[in-house]
Amino acid sequence: MRRSEKKALKKSALLLTAGALAVGLAACGSGNEPAANTGGASNEAAANTGASGGDSGKKVTITFQNIYPDETSVTNKIMKELVADYEAANPNIKIELDSLNTDQQKLKLKTQAASKEVPDITIVNPAAQMKPFVDAGVLAPLNDMLDQNGLKDTFQKGLLDYYSFDGNVYALPDGNNIEVVYYNKDLFAQAGITDVPKTFDEMLEDVKALKAKGITPIAIGEKDTWTGSFLFMNILLRTNGGPGFLQDVMDGKKDFNDPAFTEAVDAFQELVQAGAFPEGATSIDANAGGNIFKTGKAAMFIIGSWETGNIDASSVAGKVGAFSFPTVNGKGDVNQFMLAPGSGFAISANSKHPQETKDFLNYFMTNFPKKKFELKDAVGLGQVVEGDFAAAGYSDLAVGILDLFKSVSGGDLAFDNTMNPAVAQAHLSSIQNLFVQKVDSKQVAKEHQDAFAANK
Amino acid sequence: MNVLKVRWWTIGIFVLPCLLLYMMMVFVPIVISGYTSLVEWDGIGVNKTFVGLDNYVDILFHDPHFWPAVRRTLMYAVFSMAEIPICLLFAILINRYVKRGNRLVSIYFMPVILSVVIIGQLWKTIYNPLDMGGMINGILNALGMQGHMRAWLSSPQFAMYCLYFVSLWQYFGYHLIIQFTGVQNIPSDIYEAAKIDGADGFKADRYITLPLIVPVFKISIVLAFIGSLQAFDLIMVMTGGGPAHATDVISTLMYNNTFLTFKYGYGSALAMTLVFICLAFTFVINGVFNRIEKKVG
Amino acid sequence: MASIKKGVVYLLLGILVVTQVYPLLWLILYSFKTNEEILGGSFFALPASPRFANYTEAYEQGNYLRYLFNSIFVTVITMVVVIVLASMVAYAISRFRWKLAPAALLVFMLGLMIPMQATLLPLMVMFKNIGILNTHWSLILPYIAFQTPVAVFILSGFMKGIPHEIEESAFMDGASVYRIFRSIILPISVPPIMTVCILTFINIWNEYILAATFISSERLKTLPFGVNSFVSQYTTNYGNIGAFLVMGAIPVILIYFILSERITKGMVAGAVKG
Repeated sequence: MRRSEKKALKKSALLLTAGALAVGLAACGSGNEPAANTGGASNEAAANTGASGGDSGKKVTITFQNIYPDETSVTNKIMKELVADYEAANPNIKIELDSLNTDQQKLKLKTQAASKEVPDITIVNPAAQMKPFVDAGVLAPLNDMLDQNGLKDTFQKGLLDYYSFDGNVYALPDGNNIEVVYYNKDLFAQAGITDVPKTFDEMLEDVKALKAKGITPIAIGEKDTWTGSFLFMNILLRTNGGPGFLQDVMDGKKDFNDPAFTEAVDAFQELVQAGAFPEGATSIDANAGGNIFKTGKAAMFIIGSWETGNIDASSVAGKVGAFSFPTVNGKGDVNQFMLAPGSGFAISANSKHPQETKDFLNYFMTNFPKKKFELKDAVGLGQVVEGDFAAAGYSDLAVGILDLFKSVSGGDLAFDNTMNPAVAQAHLSSIQNLFVQKVDSKQVAKEHQDAFAANK
Repeated sequence: MNVLKVRWWTIGIFVLPCLLLYMMMVFVPIVISGYTSLVEWDGIGVNKTFVGLDNYVDILFHDPHFWPAVRRTLMYAVFSMAEIPICLLFAILINRYVKRGNRLVSIYFMPVILSVVIIGQLWKTIYNPLDMGGMINGILNALGMQGHMRAWLSSPQFAMYCLYFVSLWQYFGYHLIIQFTGVQNIPSDIYEAAKIDGADGFKADRYITLPLIVPVFKISIVLAFIGSLQAFDLIMVMTGGGPAHATDVISTLMYNNTFLTFKYGYGSALAMTLVFICLAFTFVINGVFNRIEKKVG
Repeated sequence: MASIKKGVVYLLLGILVVTQVYPLLWLILYSFKTNEEILGGSFFALPASPRFANYTEAYEQGNYLRYLFNSIFVTVITMVVVIVLASMVAYAISRFRWKLAPAALLVFMLGLMIPMQATLLPLMVMFKNIGILNTHWSLILPYIAFQTPVAVFILSGFMKGIPHEIEESAFMDGASVYRIFRSIILPISVPPIMTVCILTFINIWNEYILAATFISSERLKTLPFGVNSFVSQYTTNYGNIGAFLVMGAIPVILIYFILSERITKGMVAGAVKG
């Protein structure tokens, strides 16, 4: 037995040597390209330092980190087109796209910022979410660039404030949306609902009627906690009788034990208890949650108006309308909305080619709205577009949403855009908890207040 | 034990290249982490405040999510380790009843080689509510046991057990392979000698297999323990630690604190705590097994 | 009686085959479904009409070939270096007479306990300073370091069990220690080396956090990035993801079946006292 084993070993030794050789060869062969690449990278780096010395004829590479990896999406198409056009017009500029999905981009930017290695162009979220980056000085002010080619005037009035700190603008938004209630007209009819709810109580009645018909009343994917929070904040906007609750808390004028807050928690729990949300919502991710509505299985979808294009491209297109979130216990104003200024393009303060990067972003943002309009994705755009939407073939839903936009008379930002990340995380998981168990609203208020006090 | 007496620089040639790289990539970062665990830092700005052991004090005494996470982490480890005797039983059975046991064991290994994304998606559809096509609820429904149907991954009581089970399922083949190899490597002449003395079947297992398998058993236990303490990907894919922290373990807590809450120092302190727990328990496991080995050897 | 027992055992083993192999079948079915079928359909349902477009779309959009090439490059280099370095260390620890051998083993064992996520930021700073960010080296180096502990663990366990006579006689014949290592120890250690190969391969092939953080250039990205291309801000293309995952799993399954005959032999061969 021992002998045969030795024989086998000898054989396998031969095999291994052969294998190692083959692997070695493969490694050499395949080694060429990346080796050349690294060489290229250092050459580029050398060229780059040359460029910053003022020689603009040298090849410049701009890294453009973005959150549009899906090649079937309109924004991805626009991005690629604009990049290609710009590269064609500026042969010395190369734009390298680093497309990641939202979560990964957040993680990556965080790590990059910690090591002062932020890409030339990156994506940040408005207000409180981008503040740590601004405070750390990793983003460059864009004021001078906004003045070129009249770019500043293309943005909706006041929108850039969400991206401004101490009078400097640090990012340019890819959109500006409001939270609306999309509803499936067919499913409403099936449940015998004739009109959209004007009050929260009517909405609860509708939820029960839909539930009785075996229809999921409100689609949501709450694994990505922000979805539930966004809906909750809309209720708070009503029970508070208007915007500014979180701001008041931060200014020390109110705290989370305020009746407006507990009332909102109670109202939200009524929705949960009435069975408004899909079973198992907390393990469904946001996109899958949206799909429940877009496949015609849920009657309502309470989310940012950015979904308009996706809904029009889904199987429920043509059956969907939208309305503003109803008043709660007679409080609030339906013309006030949860506001969702979009993700913003920002430029690294340490960029090796600040001027080239600004020039490109200026070109990109100037042409962005036109392209969006042409590709029928201009609902919820942060910039003013000239053109007749209905005549350009936009859907009834899109035109309806645009009408809602016109009615906006104020509103609030999402929780995580208002409070610092630590408080926001505590809030997000506190709201997620409401989906799975009934909690005394005073307890929820206390959780919030404690987190706020601990992380001021 | 070690036969070859070689010059010190020969040892250097064999050990240093690997050791240096390893130190650079694993130890230096963890030492840096050790330092950041003593500061308060958002991970971005220049404002680092040295706070001594404050982060650790906060973790141990003030963080409401820490101890439940430790409990879940240790439960994870206990379940993973409890699986190994079962794997050993199967290894013995396969060795006895199946001719080309190797093949069968390789098949059982399959879930280990698939990416966590696949495993996560698969089990999500198994645990889903009925109207989303969930398998378990579908079976319960067919059996008329509607009262037991629930959204498994959204239940604070059940979600964590659902995750344990996926891990047990996934790593069954991994530990089976280890145990099977151990069983196979016991020379057959020992069994033959025992047979002459009248011991075969499970009696032989009791007196021959078990004592001889102890070292292999230990390898499995250590790997299962360390692996489960670091369980991360699967939880992130399936529940993200939710609902409301109900499935948070130490590693997900660390990730959330570092990257979502922007408490870099605090996250580092959690990482160091995890390393300390690993160390302590590995020594305990080693000690226990040394005593067992002495006893049976 | 004996045959009943046998029957029960076979039944049990058979059921396990189904539960352990079904995921692969499920994934293949999944990869031919439409989004609607995936989100609403029953667990066992077959796709109404197989959607082959999932594959063509996944192939084109996911940048399959480029990512595949990069993944193979990174994984193979990592695998080869891990085997060379770890077997050298394992040899020194298990066969040389030196006081620090147990300490060295302990140092490597410590590495098993360090969570990779905790090293993300320090590594980022380090790589930035030595200028290898956004190159394959920023993946290969930490991958090697993190795979070494298990490899040393398995290999040194095996090498301990190799009979001393083999080396001694070679030593008498005047062979150098390098020669003994190369032409005696390594060939004998093929089974555990295969084990290390497959474990390293599995761990590296699907790694994403380091890859997503250190690599920015499209031309350097690895397979796990491909899944990205089907998840946009607000929509996800499940069928394409399934198809891409199938294509990404093929190389692992191939490698596994090529090596699996040996893996069972190598896992812990040295740990049993014969």
